[in-house]
Amino acid sequence: MPDHDSILAITNAIRDGEQSAVEVMSDCLGRIKSSDQTLGCFRETYEERALGLARMIDDRLAKGDDPGPLSGIPIAVKDNMVTDFGRSSAGSRMLEDYHSPFTATAIEKLELAGAIVVGKTHCDEFAMGSSTENCSLGTTKNPWDTRCVPGGSSGGSAAAVASQLVPAALGSDTGGSIRQPASFCGIVGLKPSYGRISRSGLIAFGSSLDQIGPMTKRVEDAALLLQTMAGKDRRDSTCADVHVPNCLEKLDEPLKDLKLGVPKDVINEHNDDLVNTIIQEAIDVYRDLGAEIVEIDLPLAKYAVAIYYVISAAEASGNLARYDGIRYGHRADLKPGEDLFDLYAKSRSEGFGDEVKRRIMLGTFVLSSGYYDAYYKRALQARRLIKQEFDQVFETCHAILGPTAPTPAFPMDEMQDPLSMYLCDVYTTLANIGGHCGISIPAGFAQREGRRLPVGLQLQGKGFDEARLLRIARMFEMATSHHDQSPELITTNKS
Amino acid sequence: MTDVRSTRLRIGMEIHVELATHSKMFSRSANVAHSDHFEASPNSLVDPVVAGLPGALPVMNKQAVELSMMVGLALNCEIASFSKWDRKNYFYPDLPKGYQISQFDLPLCRDGYLDIPSETAEGGSRRINILRAHLEEDAGKLSHDRPGGGFIEGSLVDLNRAGTPLLEIVTQPDFTTAQECDVFAKELRNICRFLGVTEGIMQRGHMRFEPNINVIIELDDHREIATPIVEIKNLNSFKSLRGAIEHEYKRQVEAWKVDGLEHASGRKSTWGWNDEKCITFLQREKEEAHDYRYFPDPDLVPVVISDDWRLAIQATLPELPRQRRERYESDFGLSPVQSLALTDERDLSVFYESCIDSYMALDDSTATRQHGGQQCANQLLNAGAKRANELNRNIHDLGITPSQVAQIVILRDGDEIGSTAADTLFGLLCDPALDEEAKTIAQQEKLLQVRDEGQLDKWVEQAIEAQPQAAEDFAAGKDAAAGRLVGEIMKRSQGQADAKAVQAKLRQRLRDE
Repeated sequence: MPDHDSILAITNAIRDGEQSAVEVMSDCLGRIKSSDQTLGCFRETYEERALGLARMIDDRLAKGDDPGPLSGIPIAVKDNMVTDFGRSSAGSRMLEDYHSPFTATAIEKLELAGAIVVGKTHCDEFAMGSSTENCSLGTTKNPWDTRCVPGGSSGGSAAAVASQLVPAALGSDTGGSIRQPASFCGIVGLKPSYGRISRSGLIAFGSSLDQIGPMTKRVEDAALLLQTMAGKDRRDSTCADVHVPNCLEKLDEPLKDLKLGVPKDVINEHNDDLVNTIIQEAIDVYRDLGAEIVEIDLPLAKYAVAIYYVISAAEASGNLARYDGIRYGHRADLKPGEDLFDLYAKSRSEGFGDEVKRRIMLGTFVLSSGYYDAYYKRALQARRLIKQEFDQVFETCHAILGPTAPTPAFPMDEMQDPLSMYLCDVYTTLANIGGHCGISIPAGFAQREGRRLPVGLQLQGKGFDEARLLRIARMFEMATSHHDQSPELITTNKS
Repeated sequence: MTDVRSTRLRIGMEIHVELATHSKMFSRSANVAHSDHFEASPNSLVDPVVAGLPGALPVMNKQAVELSMMVGLALNCEIASFSKWDRKNYFYPDLPKGYQISQFDLPLCRDGYLDIPSETAEGGSRRINILRAHLEEDAGKLSHDRPGGGFIEGSLVDLNRAGTPLLEIVTQPDFTTAQECDVFAKELRNICRFLGVTEGIMQRGHMRFEPNINVIIELDDHREIATPIVEIKNLNSFKSLRGAIEHEYKRQVEAWKVDGLEHASGRKSTWGWNDEKCITFLQREKEEAHDYRYFPDPDLVPVVISDDWRLAIQATLPELPRQRRERYESDFGLSPVQSLALTDERDLSVFYESCIDSYMALDDSTATRQHGGQQCANQLLNAGAKRANELNRNIHDLGITPSQVAQIVILRDGDEIGSTAADTLFGLLCDPALDEEAKTIAQQEKLLQVRDEGQLDKWVEQAIEAQPQAAEDFAAGKDAAAGRLVGEIMKRSQGQADAKAVQAKLRQRLRDE
């Protein structure tokens, strides 16, 4: 029996006839059934469809066909990606019963390669949040400690992979929504360079920042999913026409003369002590592997969160204007005498949660006449400067190392102040602002007060340099064993 | 108050042109402004992008950009090497995304001009400067009646028009009369149709005009005062454009005499036009502090136009109406009225030129292009215009072919057919079933002139017998009397007698000349 967390192991077993795709899928659905009541990763599953597709994979294999490099791999997708089956709700009451007539390009590409979508996972509403607590349709728990959040916004996907309900999941990352939950749940989360993967079918939050990316247990699986989803798309003109390299080819080959940039204040008092310790250890691991550690300076990095919240909220205020109750989505009942304005105001008031409203208001404000120059325009200018800063830094090193998040997963309901929640994104937003790639990989565990929570290490690479970034991540993975650890699978005993 | 010495209009125009691309501005959905889809049923030209569904992204239609470049070049504009897309944010049920994709500060075309014929006695032309021309997407349509009429609770949205490429051309306030606006509007429509960028059907809203009007009042003490600017929305006929401007001219002067309000920032108001009552009516007092919160659309990449691309488009520009008119006048000696009539519709102009080509191909003797041009123009603008009027069709759509027109001209050249018979023959050939040569039909219908001596002599004798007084008068030297005799001969010959030969015969017979 193969590990049920390695894509290559599973798909090879299916291809070699050791296990049928239907068996793999039934196991997967069984695990979800028994564990997900506790964890709450899934918004909904597509049992019938998934088993049907698995049967087709088996049939094709029996006929000698090649159903593709992901043959029979069950994957979970975040609820903010549309599929022409099931509902696509982005964690919002606004889209609670929304059925899309088309499927996201990234998902289509995965299924064309043989993967099978088993279900959609919970996320913060419209991907706005860092804990998956802002979800109107359910809450996900951290599989390492169910009192804690899984991170967010791709919390459902992260928890599902960490608890081995599925071998892989898709997340989306606007300011850290793949990497931060990957860090909190102890898995691999890759945010590709902006334009690497089509955004078509991703329910937009911040269009200039959003990217879909893989969440897996292993670096190798992330590489496999990335290269399957990457490439230009006629449905998204911001999707780059850039060569998609084979990321697996040299993955296990350590990079000689690796230069790793480490920000000079990487260890700092804003981080949890245990996070500081783990990052120091990670630096040492790389040094032991022969990497040259280069101290770097990113003086503008401290403005990242501010820039990010201005730009993402501005874009969101426009992107979410379409949810007006006219054509689809939640529509308020009107009382006699109420008019069009009431229809808009009530539908949106009822359909959106508080965090979404807060960001729409913030975005509307920063774009308003009289404030545009002071906020939005300056944020764009600062963004350009930060990009330049990264361009310069990437001339001196192959990747930048640091923590993914300043803390491990925090207890549910602890983070009441939106601003403190925003500061969880302090390390991750930079890659979205710069448009380059970033990955979070398991780097250790923070143990205290009877809790043992994973901590992630973030590596950032220059734009469209994922192949090298993945190799650098793989070096760490080969030298450590954090990724081999899994939370105890919680099962609901049914008698 | 000082008395008014004089008043004059000051008008700038915004013109919206719906481009006839195959698909919409930012999606692959078919375009309702393309003639293949005029009759599409409501909400049938909709896809996820048009409906603003979650996850759907706009992708720019390159053809729309190229058509806009053509218009920009025809209007002598600078074509921006770099322009971008911006979101104009507002809520309305016909606006699916909650924003319109437009171009805010970097339009595709700017700083151009169009010369229009001047109204002054000296002739010449007047230059209307073009501020900018930018591309955007149209909104859908809202209706408050049941389709086909009747009350309905609420309103209905039709998204067929949503996302249609719309070119907005903005002029400087260079117009001083309604007539100039009218001439400009027609010329612009004509140019766009010659370029093939729009069907230009006014009733379908393919072109919509929004004049910004105010009046400069000169007082007796030579002070000049400007009345507040009024923008008239959505005029979609030339008649309403003229009507609205003429009405505003009077209304603003009268209003000023009453309230004395002068132009000032924030005092611009938006008015509509009532086509039945022929009056303008107030829609929005003051320019509402409408904040559209424009910002660059992150879903689209900027439009970068290289010199090569621009030059390639420039090379595809056809001869424009004005150049064509000048050529007709200089090469064929047409009058300005004739050349204007022949370039009013691109298709007519094309038809006219193929008549001339046919003529040149048919007549191998002494034909000149100039003569052919003149005679074909005469046929089309006399016999053709008459039939077009009767049948309510375009001259180029009557059913007669360019080759048949050319054949009529040749029959006339050789005096084989009289002018009345030529007109009759033209009319007959408008029956598309008659695809034979003009001469064959003329023979069948006995329209060719008769020059047979015996037959002519017979008719002459009969006419003298029937009109003895006229014969006597003519013989006595009264030339005018010939008319009655010729008329009689024509009646008897059913128009077939060669008029020149008849005249000669009469002189020979009665005056012995």
